[in-house]
Amino acid sequence: MRREESGIQSPEGRIQNSPAAVMASGLTRVYRRGAETIRALNRIDLDIRRGEFVGIVGHSGAGKTTLLNLMGLMDRPTEGRLEVLGTDVTRRRVRFDALRRANIGFVFQEFYLMPTLTALENVLLPSMWGKGSAERRTENAELPKGVRDRAKELLDLVGLKQRMTHRPSELSGGEMQRVAVARALVNSPRLLLADEPTGNLDTSTRDGIFNLLLGLNRDSGLTVVVATHDLSLESRFARVIRLEDGVIK
Amino acid sequence: MIWFKLAFKNLIRRKTRSTLTVLGVAIAIAVLYSLFQFQQGYQSRLKGELGALGAHVMVVPKGCPYEAATIALHGGKWPRYMDEELLDKVKANPGVLDAAGVIMDAVFAPDNKNVILLGIDEDYMRLRPSWHINGHWFDSDSSVIMGATSAQEAGVKVGDIWTVPEKSFRLHVVGVLNRTNTQDDGFVFVPRKTLQKISGLEGKLVLILIKAKQVDRTDALVASLKADEVDMNVFPLSELLGTIGALMASTKVFVSAIILIAVVLGGVGVLNTVLMAVFERTREIGMMKAMGGSRGDVFKLVWAETILTTGLGGVAGVVVAIFSSRLVEALIRGMIPYAPKGSLIGLSLPTMAMCVGLSLVLGLFAGFYPAFRAASVKPVEAIKAE
Repeated sequence: MRREESGIQSPEGRIQNSPAAVMASGLTRVYRRGAETIRALNRIDLDIRRGEFVGIVGHSGAGKTTLLNLMGLMDRPTEGRLEVLGTDVTRRRVRFDALRRANIGFVFQEFYLMPTLTALENVLLPSMWGKGSAERRTENAELPKGVRDRAKELLDLVGLKQRMTHRPSELSGGEMQRVAVARALVNSPRLLLADEPTGNLDTSTRDGIFNLLLGLNRDSGLTVVVATHDLSLESRFARVIRLEDGVIK
Repeated sequence: MIWFKLAFKNLIRRKTRSTLTVLGVAIAIAVLYSLFQFQQGYQSRLKGELGALGAHVMVVPKGCPYEAATIALHGGKWPRYMDEELLDKVKANPGVLDAAGVIMDAVFAPDNKNVILLGIDEDYMRLRPSWHINGHWFDSDSSVIMGATSAQEAGVKVGDIWTVPEKSFRLHVVGVLNRTNTQDDGFVFVPRKTLQKISGLEGKLVLILIKAKQVDRTDALVASLKADEVDMNVFPLSELLGTIGALMASTKVFVSAIILIAVVLGGVGVLNTVLMAVFERTREIGMMKAMGGSRGDVFKLVWAETILTTGLGGVAGVVVAIFSSRLVEALIRGMIPYAPKGSLIGLSLPTMAMCVGLSLVLGLFAGFYPAFRAASVKPVEAIKAE
């Protein structure tokens, strides 16, 4: 007997029935450098459902980062239609920064942690951006207890409970990336985008970070999209989108 | 507050550069504080010194009015004199309530200190109702009354014998003035006739101080005295204040130009430093935006950094100005023809507030362009940037 028929949905079935996290049709991004025209993405059609754990794989220059930047509202497409978490972001009036702040978390290959801030302060950083952040602060102009507690919980989640007061210079590469993951989660995003998050890490640290992202998807249903050129990780994604010269293969 | 905390942490990432930038602003603000306070102190002290003369009108021999003012206020040797008979003519003027003739001389004490001698009589005493003499008034031609500071420096008390330096005249100390906190504290007062004799200036005066019957008719009194005695300088002390004030005002333009240049240079230095920091941190700014930071957020952060830099510079500048006030004052005194005695650059909360306020305004202006540049950074391009 199929699970749907018995009233119990499998995770796959649940994802299939869930609304789209990212939906693209004919998505194209063209860069111009002087007389040269570079077609980084060429008429891509894409459908990523909420709760999915998707890998975008391909060699360097295949268009992975360009696609992630478009999905992360850091760039605008040249042509085509793109819908992120139910909002058509190709419309001119969409405020990218507010939408990104409220819904999207980013993890980069390079960690971009503030060197003078502790791990905890780095995690708290995104919570001070934007209009809403002011109301979230208490009267003494410090961050609210709620956000601070959440940041601590996230650092605990990524295994850095004992390293909260350490500065980036006192952390290893893997620990810094864990801080960056916690930072990406502090505003409770609905979509987590990671661009080569393990690119600067050794094999064992890479697996730790990958498992962390996998766990976030599995345990909280967070939509996670990871761009990587590391083909050895391919088998660990629930779904893989393979890019080659700006086209999905 | 959290913006400033973050901005401060950003500043201390480049300690040397930030310190030098703060120093640049501090110097500009220190110059501003010192010169502004000097002008304020100058006006206020000058008014005080003129008030201490206890007169409304002054008659001095023809010559430079600033030199005359210096002699009148601080005492000294002046190679211009007027005849004593003039005093009787002045006293005879119906607008004059009281007039005191003064002869002055300056001698060097053995320790090379300048001793100012004032030859006076009872008329002068009447212009000094606040004087309190420990001892008594002159009882002979060889009497002397010492100002509080001069008695202290000469190491004499009532009853002692004091020998006039350079002259070998022995005088009896019959009185020592209670401290007046005016120029009188540093003078030595002897009977007018005695000083005229000591100095070989019999029948001569260097100054006549006049108290008018009607203070509001001082100008008429001056006009009438001028009509009587065309060879003398007759001027109301308010005019002297105005004349010296005008001299100071003419330097004000020069001083303001220096201040403006110092402040603009400080501002340009800050702009340059912050702009450089923005260029260096392009990727970091891109990351902030990728995490949801809006244009306004980035603008605020960079602006806060600039305002913090200039604010710290402002506070440091005021502190530097206060600690270097004696040195600055000595330098300025050396450059101008006349300056009142006493400390001119003092502590002033309004001036401190003005200086710190100006440094913050400087930060608002200097930080605007770098903040705008930072806010305009596109995250995707910034993160790709090397």
